[in-house]
Amino acid sequence: MPWPVTRRLIGTRIQRLDGIEKATGRAKYSFDINRPRMLHARILRSPHAHATIKTIDTAAAEKTAGFRGIYLIKKAGAELFFAGDEIVAICADTEEHAEDCLRAIRVEYNVQQHVVKEADSLTAQTNVTGGLGANNIVAAGDFATDNFDTVAFQGAAATHEASYGIAVISHQCLESHGLVAEWDAKQENLTVWASTQAVPNTAEGLRVHFKLKPGEVTCICNYMGGGFGSKFGPDIQGIAAAELARSTRQPVKLMLDRAEEVTVGGIRPSAYGTVKIGGTKEGRLTGYEVDCYGTGGVNRGPTVNFGLLPYVYGPSIPNIKRRHRVVRTNIQTARAMRAPGHPQNAILTEQALDDLAARLNVNPMTLRLANLPPNDMAERQANPRTFPGQRADIYRTEIAIIRKMCGWDQAWHAPGQGGKGTIKTGLGMALHTWGGGGRGPNPTRVTINADGTVVAQSSSQDLGTAHRTVMAIIVAEILGLQPTDITCIIGNSQHGPSTPSGGSTTCPGTSPAILKAVELAAEAMLTALAGRLNVQRNQLSIAPGVVVNAANNQRIPFRDACRQMGVPNVQANGDWPVQKDLQSNAVLREEWTTRLTNQGVGGVQIAEVKVDTETGVVRCSRFWTVQDCGLIINKLACESQVAGGIIMGLNYALYEECIYDRQTGRQVNPDMEFYKLGGIADMPNIYVHMHDMPERGVIGIGEPPTIGTAAAVGNAIFNAIGARVSHAPFTPERVLAALASRKPGNP
Amino acid sequence: MIELETTEAGPSRRQFLQGTGAAVTATALTGFAASDTPAAELQPGGGGPVPAVGPGAAKITLNVNGRDVQTSVEPRVTLLDALRNYLDVTGCKRVCDRATCGACTVMLDGKVVYSCTMLAIEAQGKAIRTAESLYNDGKADAIPVAFARTDAQQCGFCTPGFVVAMKAVLEANPQATPAEVERGLQGNICRCGTYEQMRDAIYSLCNTKRGN
Repeated sequence: MPWPVTRRLIGTRIQRLDGIEKATGRAKYSFDINRPRMLHARILRSPHAHATIKTIDTAAAEKTAGFRGIYLIKKAGAELFFAGDEIVAICADTEEHAEDCLRAIRVEYNVQQHVVKEADSLTAQTNVTGGLGANNIVAAGDFATDNFDTVAFQGAAATHEASYGIAVISHQCLESHGLVAEWDAKQENLTVWASTQAVPNTAEGLRVHFKLKPGEVTCICNYMGGGFGSKFGPDIQGIAAAELARSTRQPVKLMLDRAEEVTVGGIRPSAYGTVKIGGTKEGRLTGYEVDCYGTGGVNRGPTVNFGLLPYVYGPSIPNIKRRHRVVRTNIQTARAMRAPGHPQNAILTEQALDDLAARLNVNPMTLRLANLPPNDMAERQANPRTFPGQRADIYRTEIAIIRKMCGWDQAWHAPGQGGKGTIKTGLGMALHTWGGGGRGPNPTRVTINADGTVVAQSSSQDLGTAHRTVMAIIVAEILGLQPTDITCIIGNSQHGPSTPSGGSTTCPGTSPAILKAVELAAEAMLTALAGRLNVQRNQLSIAPGVVVNAANNQRIPFRDACRQMGVPNVQANGDWPVQKDLQSNAVLREEWTTRLTNQGVGGVQIAEVKVDTETGVVRCSRFWTVQDCGLIINKLACESQVAGGIIMGLNYALYEECIYDRQTGRQVNPDMEFYKLGGIADMPNIYVHMHDMPERGVIGIGEPPTIGTAAAVGNAIFNAIGARVSHAPFTPERVLAALASRKPGNP
Repeated sequence: MIELETTEAGPSRRQFLQGTGAAVTATALTGFAASDTPAAELQPGGGGPVPAVGPGAAKITLNVNGRDVQTSVEPRVTLLDALRNYLDVTGCKRVCDRATCGACTVMLDGKVVYSCTMLAIEAQGKAIRTAESLYNDGKADAIPVAFARTDAQQCGFCTPGFVVAMKAVLEANPQATPAEVERGLQGNICRCGTYEQMRDAIYSLCNTKRGN
């Protein structure tokens, strides 16, 4: 069951099937679902960053016009860990009345000490945030290679020590978290329309909460407005909506408003650290030392990918020392966000590399080429298609391509030589890596009907990645049809299990199951047809638009062939082999995890910036990237993912930060006017080159393109002005401060 | 349909306060806060009659995508919420709800407005157009077609707002240059980051080849 060797559709640029529906506002997102008799729910949240609830009085709320139902999320005595923590959900006949009810609830608090700044938490002596443990600091990793302190910087021609960091940012999904919940008349079966990256998981979370039997909860997600790692289950608001729908016997909609979305809908943890790095005069890195910390709320784990520090170049650096501490703060618990830990790793590695290059007086591209992670020869011998077995080759090829694309050899200059005027130009680069492998179960059903229509169905979801279109492309490729000929039905938990769309796993996780399903369906169709035509099965084959009968050289149009099958339809299910077989059967494993799909990608990005040295404003003027992801299914959507990841990276390089007020403990920008996101005018032209490696099978692309962007921008600023802006976002204030502290000579 | 009568200079602040004050008092006395009170009661003010509506729900008529539709909303209901919650017109999306992101963009007599920051009662008597108006009889307008062809959308939640904004620019000036169209989109935000593909859409709509 390999991928077709000659590909008519796969790897070309195919328009997404639902593009017109979305662009004309006819696509119904979960937020858009309006059910008959539907009520609107809202949640009362803690105004304090840390408190316990003394009393809750809902009497006035229950007498307020329009009031329909109430659900206590927390009881008196409960501890609240951040401003925004849920207390009570209420529902009313209109959203306006729900607001009135919310305002009528009276809660008394015992306000407690809080801390919302990482630096404050680091210096606090006791556990002031609540949560587990004796103090605010949780050790999250300590590692050193042998004799690091004595050998790491021996023979180094230069060392550089500096601090780097990146702030807490918010997912800012445009469609907020939430769902519409509706019970059937007997209150036995629950249906929810949820904005989710994991349709079956969301149904299962509610099923467990309500102690229902399998199949009694249906989760539907036809369209969803962005998740970025923050939408994997019903969440508290989903459970509250379903509780209210049950107690009121009416459908309930509960979607977070913008302030809620930003304060509870997900954050990416911060990372700040001191890095010391050294290298020989030939540009070989001798040692890398990092001591870093970050926060992800009260009880969140590591905020960097500890094992992958230093990032990308780790395997070629002989001496490594790293320490990571997580500091508790009274902010919402962090959620996965597009390549968890990796952008933080890139910030803590790639920028130190450029600072060292300046000290060594070498071109940073040269320094990177001299320290690429070597090909893992054992891996290469075992299977030449693995990423570790060829990573140096991949990076080297990609760097050679981007070097020409951006004219690096002509345009790059020494740091601080960014032009004579007040606006300085600079170039900066960064590398990245990601897994992007997928697995089952992702059962997919393909039905070929006698009327010539074809339906593909699974429970998976389309986050905006054009997943429907991925299904249609694969099915159409095998059946000799066009993607628009295929009806794809996804986003319904009753269609069976599917893996959550996180970590760039959906395309690799689903595409081989789709391929298997359509191949089995085609086989069933041709077998049925052969019987009716009285020919051997092997005399029939599929070509674009037709079934070819080799017995009489007849070319039967696909629709006619379907009509002649003699059955109303043929149907086939395809899925991954079960995990046990994948593990025990080497042939199977090789086919499914290194030919049909694979994991591990590289990628290189280069930013060009213009820095106004009078105002400190940074503008990214051009951006280039070369990216691999194995066999590309839809080049149009793939290039869009890559450019979109870069734009997300540019946003957190230049604009994004959740700012918390030390006194009140509240976020001061839980919105979109002071939490900055760039518009079209803020974004450069982006030049994407996909480095196609079809022999590696399908690999996910969602995470990789956002990882190195901010580090590349930081390096470009350094290149332009000769001063390092240590912390992202690289705001005008910070750029001006860096300029003011610039010393003559080396940075 | 509420006729907002104003003097040439518009209602004074004093008139406004008198009007609303009287209405609030009346409601408090009659206790009809949530019911369908008559749409408008003209309250005598110092400089002439000014309308008072609410605070209970009032009947309004909105002209949405060429059709007059009636509903009953409290005066505090925004145009966006009236469209989405009361009329099931959901192409305009609620995202920031504070006139920043543009996801709620609609056309009002041909001009773009953030429908999250306008009251529904103010939109009466004006032609309201949402993205849904760009699809008729199974055929989509050139702008959504260009968005789909260039893949200028991912999750698509912001897209109807961008499409309406672009439609308004090109309707006002069919000869607009790509730079002018792009300027018309600066009040909108896309979180998935499809601006690069939007530029492709803009250039194709302006029949201009996109250079470097």
